[in-house]
Amino acid sequence: MAMGSGLNRREFFLCAIAASLAPAALLAGPERHMLQMNGYPQNAETPLNLLTDYITPNELFFVRSHWVPRMPDLKTWRLTIDGEVDHTTVLSLADLRKMPQAEATCVLQCAGNGRALHAPVVPGVQWAYGAVGNARWRGVRLRDVLARAGVRDTARHLHLFGSDDPPGKVPPFHRSVEMKKAMEDAILAWEMNGVPLPPQHGAPVRLVVPGWAGDHWMKWLVRISPQVEAQKGFYMETAYRYPLNPGAPGVTFRPEEMKPVTDLFVKSNITTAPMRAQAGVAHTIRGFAFSGAPDIEKVEISDDDGATWRGAALDPRHDPYAWRLWSFQWSPRAKGKVRLLARATDIRGATQPRDAQWNQSGYLYNSWHSVEVEVV
Amino acid sequence: MKIAAILLLPLLGTQFKPLPPGPGRALAETACFACHSADILVQQRLTEKQWTATVEKMMRWGAEVKESDKPLLIKFLATHFGPENRFTPTKTKPVR
Repeated sequence: MAMGSGLNRREFFLCAIAASLAPAALLAGPERHMLQMNGYPQNAETPLNLLTDYITPNELFFVRSHWVPRMPDLKTWRLTIDGEVDHTTVLSLADLRKMPQAEATCVLQCAGNGRALHAPVVPGVQWAYGAVGNARWRGVRLRDVLARAGVRDTARHLHLFGSDDPPGKVPPFHRSVEMKKAMEDAILAWEMNGVPLPPQHGAPVRLVVPGWAGDHWMKWLVRISPQVEAQKGFYMETAYRYPLNPGAPGVTFRPEEMKPVTDLFVKSNITTAPMRAQAGVAHTIRGFAFSGAPDIEKVEISDDDGATWRGAALDPRHDPYAWRLWSFQWSPRAKGKVRLLARATDIRGATQPRDAQWNQSGYLYNSWHSVEVEVV
Repeated sequence: MKIAAILLLPLLGTQFKPLPPGPGRALAETACFACHSADILVQQRLTEKQWTATVEKMMRWGAEVKESDKPLLIKFLATHFGPENRFTPTKTKPVR
């Protein structure tokens, strides 16, 4: 297949060679690594046992790329706002920085996180647990930028365009987000955890949509356009859709029988548990929980296959749509193999189900998480 | 607006694995590697019918596959990366 404009074979192989020469001297710490899902485009998830901090470090934050991306030149980068606005507006990074700044600490999760855990098998990048992280994003409120362009009341959907043109005839990754959500709390972010947005995370500016799946968090943004109708194309009309009325595992639906993926489903994961534990001795089990709702109401643990549940302690650190770290003091009662289960309930009252709803694209997996412990 | 750089890949200590040997391997390398590495093929675990649909989609999207080569390419993918195939992500070099 022909590479995208600007990326010929020679450039491509230079990229590959550069990748193979990653300087070992720059890399330290035997335990901190990522799980490469795809060499190029770069897709990598975080090992679950490293997701133990309230803020996920940038270097451990999962990376999702549809194709080898092309990053805008920071000096010439501009954001164009057109469409249902009174005046088309073009802003530089310096222009944005002069506006009132906003910050949000919240979860970013790939819509397909957990796809590998669905049965029957669902094609696509086989994310297991770690296509999720919690970061502090800083930038400017999207509503302030849209107001500056004179956004009109007729706008219902904000069309999003990044600089990452696909290769060949592959459809472009053009998306839209509902204006209601965009105006509520979305941020155009240029900082991630206190440093300029790293290239693989969308520098210089990406969209942050608290509580919504990552397909809305457009990277390498160059244009936003309020419109009356939703964006069209493969990544709106075929991909990133969830059944209106899900069926049994294996049952597939036509696009018109589905709706776009939007807010995240409630979910918790166990990040820390012993492989072997001593009966009658307390062990600390840890994890995180999040949802498309702004907060988690409770996290519960079971060691009897869900017959009884006991509440975990929620960490006081929290921001709207951030994850809650939790801990649980567990004293195994009997020897043998024990399956520890975690489930979360959000402030909307939604509880993580025993079995996630199977869907043909494998989105929003959120079954109870379990780990097996040998009690001696 | 200029494009500053095609994002380089060493951020994660990316590793590349070859496709397994067998008839059709060269076709897969030519058709698939221009846009993505082998990992994405390995993890698909598709039936021959699903691979056929996928190859046809990729051809519509620009993959360089002659119509006459299509059966061998599909056979290669279905043989090696069928539903029973196991995929384990590659542990990258340590990051800091």
